[in-house]
Amino acid sequence: MDFIANLLPHVLNGLSLGLLFALIALGFMLIVGVMEVINLAHGSLFALGAYVAFSMMGWSPLAGLPLGARYAVVFVLAPVAVGLFGMVLELCMRRTYGKDPLYGLLLTFGAALVIEEAIRLYWGSQEKALALPEAISGAVLVGDLIYAKYRFFACAAAIVLIVLLWLFVERTRSGAIIKAGAHDGEMVRALGYNLSRLRLWVFALGTALAAIAGIVMAPIWGIRPHVGVDAVVPAFLIIVLGGVGSFWGAVLAGLLVGLVVGLTGAYASEWSLLSMYILFIVVVTFRARGLFGKKSALDN
Amino acid sequence: MNKQRRSLLQAVAAGSATTFMGPWAVNRAWAQAAAKKPLVIGLTMDASGQYGASGGEERLGAMMAIKEFNEKGGVLGRTIEALHMDTETTPATGSRVAERMITRNECAFLVGALHSGVANAISQVAQKYGCVFLNTNSSSPTEAGKDCHRTKFVWDGNGTNFAHAIVKNAMKVNGKNWVLLTNDYVWGHNTSKATRAIVEANGGKIVDELLIPQNTRDFSAYLLKLQQIKPNVVAAAVGGDDIKALRKQVVQLKLNKSFAFINNQQDWPDVYGLGPEDIFGVFGTNWYYRLDLPGVKEFVEKYQKAYPGVQIKVPGNVYYNGYMATRELLRAVERAGSTNNIKVIKELENLKVSAKDRMQTFDAYMNPNTHQMQQTIYMATYNDQPAEKDDIFKILASVPPQEVEDKDAPGACKLETYEATPTYEV
Repeated sequence: MDFIANLLPHVLNGLSLGLLFALIALGFMLIVGVMEVINLAHGSLFALGAYVAFSMMGWSPLAGLPLGARYAVVFVLAPVAVGLFGMVLELCMRRTYGKDPLYGLLLTFGAALVIEEAIRLYWGSQEKALALPEAISGAVLVGDLIYAKYRFFACAAAIVLIVLLWLFVERTRSGAIIKAGAHDGEMVRALGYNLSRLRLWVFALGTALAAIAGIVMAPIWGIRPHVGVDAVVPAFLIIVLGGVGSFWGAVLAGLLVGLVVGLTGAYASEWSLLSMYILFIVVVTFRARGLFGKKSALDN
Repeated sequence: MNKQRRSLLQAVAAGSATTFMGPWAVNRAWAQAAAKKPLVIGLTMDASGQYGASGGEERLGAMMAIKEFNEKGGVLGRTIEALHMDTETTPATGSRVAERMITRNECAFLVGALHSGVANAISQVAQKYGCVFLNTNSSSPTEAGKDCHRTKFVWDGNGTNFAHAIVKNAMKVNGKNWVLLTNDYVWGHNTSKATRAIVEANGGKIVDELLIPQNTRDFSAYLLKLQQIKPNVVAAAVGGDDIKALRKQVVQLKLNKSFAFINNQQDWPDVYGLGPEDIFGVFGTNWYYRLDLPGVKEFVEKYQKAYPGVQIKVPGNVYYNGYMATRELLRAVERAGSTNNIKVIKELENLKVSAKDRMQTFDAYMNPNTHQMQQTIYMATYNDQPAEKDDIFKILASVPPQEVEDKDAPGACKLETYEATPTYEV
């Protein structure tokens, strides 16, 4: 009984961690799933989101607002700014479409290096802190354990964003066009839709999601130029684990990774980071296409 | 006609080559005669990874010492050049960089290390060639213990020194049930080992030890576990970016008010710019920019004048160690009158530096049996009455080197003989 009572907080903590992992992977999943481009700059865009938010919090036009309102405005504006930057990046990527995927990989890898160094040059290499409103700062007592209020906020933000993205992709006309574009671009073009514009908006949305994840994770992980590296590896692992292109696969994989990392952190702490890779190897060994990945024609 | 034109072209080509090669050869000979070959020091410092920020600081320290020597004509009549390569907080990169610096870039000495695994990797390569290597800031007790080398000198205090300075007092004040938070690599393990030994020798108990993999960013599982264990003291041997993330998450949970925290050693770049709440607990350091000692003020001013654009506005322990190590190396070369490694090693082994010269409270000396600088260790906490913005440490005590000595190190350290160390001179 004592064991269960001790275990329960760790299970809940693992699930909350999983939601955050899923949030980090969301933008990455969108771009890979819809455009079939592995965006290695995802981590740097994650970091850029946190830095832009940090700068906007001190922005003079917002200086008169109370901290809570300023945070809310920045929470919207910073991802928009990074989304615009994402559009520029997408324009640079156009010549790689339809070619060997290696070209896209190299381009986004180069972009990741450039963004990280640009961050270092502009903001410096020192740690930055994002100011938080009082309402989501501090801690709450649940039973005899203390939890950070911010963690509840971050999990809630992750749930809201996951639901919103799902509604957008599955329940709107734009979402249907995006999915159709991923399935058969030529047909979408033949029907009179501008595929280039579609890709531009999807990439912008993906980078904006990376920026939101960066803003949400900033108070937990801190803001440093190379913080993106910490994000891109689990994001990549989660989308492969969940099955490339599968929305709920990525969410479930995020939750699984969170659970495994959280539980090993509590009971076999030295294995906590390694555990996600072991989970990955086990799943991919028995199900190479990931949990919810589409069956390949070669499997038949 | 064609033949004539070909001959003309050949003549022009030969003339051009003579005009080009002649002055070049003369200039080269002149240059060699007029000035001696520069002395190249390889800076093996992290610019990326867990200790990237600290690597930048120790590099500035080493560069300052080199600049000072160059301003007075270099050393042994040779100007000093610095060659930096990023060791990436990765032991394999450290080995590769060291090998390249010694064999291809003809570096006379290697300076710099933060991560103890990287320091160990570099020192193995340095020993293979006989190249003197200064471990500036890596603090695993093994560096001057089982992983010591004749060519390696350790300039920072180590985990055992800091544990001696802090643990006993923390036990008296806070209680005997301790939990260790250990970064899962050589420094974390050996520092926690030293803490455990001192706690247990003084009647305390290590209730649990949580190993934290390097690059951990989410500490929630560990912090939940701590709440379930309810220790009196949490002793962290966690460094670099990991300690920054840990501090943030401890403060979010307000756990800094629930347990007594001690962090074995707190490097300046890891706390600079953090808010007052984030700098909780008691920690060790070997230098602070507001020590009320001769020379400190001028040292700080020199830093600010030389590096006006840097983010860290005042120097900290990491910069200090980078500077002191490089300065003492160059002084040793001067005293030896040679860059011969054995002569320089002997000079460094007999090194004694007055408290005034080192800007510390007590005199310092090199232990010839372990090659670790024995020096003052300071116990510090957050300064709640800062004299200025950057005055974030309050020094609680200064402990002389004899009281914090790592007594196990001489037994564990087996230095190679002089004869077994290759002669090296550039």
